[in-house]
Amino acid sequence: MAETAVKARGRRPGRARLPGILPRGRGWRVLLSVLAVAGIWEVSTRTVFTNPLIIVPLSRVAERTAALAASGTLWRDIYTSLAEFALGFAIAAVVGITVGALMAVSDAVHDFLTVWVSALYATPTVAVAPIFIIWFGIGWESKIAVAALLAVFPIIINTEAGIRACDRHWLEVARSFQATGFQTFRMVLVPASLPFIIAGLRLAVGRALVGVVVAEFFGARSGLGLLILSSSQVFDTAALFMAVIILAGFGALMVSLLSTLERKLAPWRAHSHD
Amino acid sequence: MTDPILSVEQVTKQFVKDGKSTEVLGQISFTVGRGEFVALVGPSGCGKTTLLRIIAGLVAASSGAVRVNGRVVSGPGPDRAMVFQQDSLFPWRTVLQNVRFGLEVRGVGRRQADALCLGLLERVGLGGFGSYYPHEVSGGMRQRVNLARALAVDPEILLMDEPFAALDAQTRELMQMELLRIWSDARKTVIFVTHQIDEACYLADRVLVMASRPGRIVEDIPIDIPRPRPLQVKRTGEFGRYVDHIWGLLEKEVRRAALTVPSEG
Ligand SMILES: Nc1ncnc2c1ncn2[C@@H]1O[C@H](COP(=O)(O)OP(=O)(O)OP(=O)(O)O)[C@@H](O)[C@H]1O
Ligand SMILES: [Mg+2]
Repeated sequence: MAETAVKARGRRPGRARLPGILPRGRGWRVLLSVLAVAGIWEVSTRTVFTNPLIIVPLSRVAERTAALAASGTLWRDIYTSLAEFALGFAIAAVVGITVGALMAVSDAVHDFLTVWVSALYATPTVAVAPIFIIWFGIGWESKIAVAALLAVFPIIINTEAGIRACDRHWLEVARSFQATGFQTFRMVLVPASLPFIIAGLRLAVGRALVGVVVAEFFGARSGLGLLILSSSQVFDTAALFMAVIILAGFGALMVSLLSTLERKLAPWRAHSHD
Repeated sequence: MTDPILSVEQVTKQFVKDGKSTEVLGQISFTVGRGEFVALVGPSGCGKTTLLRIIAGLVAASSGAVRVNGRVVSGPGPDRAMVFQQDSLFPWRTVLQNVRFGLEVRGVGRRQADALCLGLLERVGLGGFGSYYPHEVSGGMRQRVNLARALAVDPEILLMDEPFAALDAQTRELMQMELLRIWSDARKTVIFVTHQIDEACYLADRVLVMASRPGRIVEDIPIDIPRPRPLQVKRTGEFGRYVDHIWGLLEKEVRRAALTVPSEG
């Protein structure tokens, strides 16, 4: 056949990549970018921006991190926030995928819920955090509730969009091969909507983290949000930056894990990330 | 005709849209013999796809019946498989997994299904491409996968809806030859919808020419060109006469349709 050219095209999508970040050979740019920003930070805060109330050198942040880690409270704060995040995110994922799927397959469910979903997705729902603290107390329940509430909407919306976007022709193919309803669901609807669902989960990561941190601002016994709040009150700028960096790093890690998951579960879409 | 496998009996189809009913197919009747290759040509919108979908059991006729081996068709069945008009492969499945789809649905074991499908891929010239995703192979290869997917469930009747329409001329000719080879190997019955008159004449034992508004068969033309048919057949005078004749029918039809276009709202 004259069509073997494709075969020779070389690298297969989905392989030869740093997990979740970039194709092999491009990771150095990410590293360089991080190092450059860290360098600029360090140098500028030692020379130009020397007011420690506004910003401190990265090396100071590192020292402060070491001290807090040694005292043990840092680990408790990280653990609290991440556990709250994990539970809130998991609840949002389960509820979001279920509700989104129901909205996609049932016009009635869609009609009843769509106005709430779009309204609540667009409003800064994080404003309910103080109310949730009153309802659920200052323990972990309120943080999980806020995180789940914030994270659930992009998951609902993307799941519904993914299932609805399933090409009519694919469903027809399934029918022409006499697939049962469940087979069609499992072999067509789920894989077709998976990339959308994962995109929804990616959006949800940031929102769940915001939910946890902001809810902790309004009352908590431990957590990175509390750490940020209390550090800012005592002008401990180094600790504040540390908490933000930990949150940023964790968010980036989650997003890249989800990208890896997408490549595993949806390798046919991998080429679109090149 | 000996041993009809398929009979289409006074099939009609109306679509109702906005309370208005349009007659897409008026009384269509024909029979197809076992192992026959029948091509269906007609102007765009005359109802070829609709007719094929009725035969496939994907939509119901408004009246009339389709029989396969004497039994009335009431839905999709294992005796028929469709090769769809547009690119209908599942992008999340590799070439091999796409071909395997129908067998998975039937609960055939993975190993047995794979063995069968790998053999089929060889036969359609895609040996070694099983692990590729549809987006990684060319349009011609995708259409072969489409064909292999239908062949995998070993249907008696292959329903093909303009399977080569999106291909360039050379690939199309190649595919036509390969289809004939596969058809004569596998002894399937084929209903093949196409816009291309020469494609119809080259492939088919019979060409059914359709007219539109409502869709109906205006002529049933046996193509008495001996097989196997090398590509050079297309350059012979006999072949040209078939093509010209069908052109004439369609042209008349198109002109009539153009003249009688009612002022549709
Ligand atoms: N689901 C539907 N609802 C309403 N009208 C339809 C539907 N499906 C097809 N039609 C109409 O039926 C007519 C025939 O359509 P069909 O797709 O069968 O034509 P075709 O001969 O296959 O055309 P083409 O050669 O362009 O593929 C068209 O006028 C089309 O608008
Ligand atoms: Mg058509």
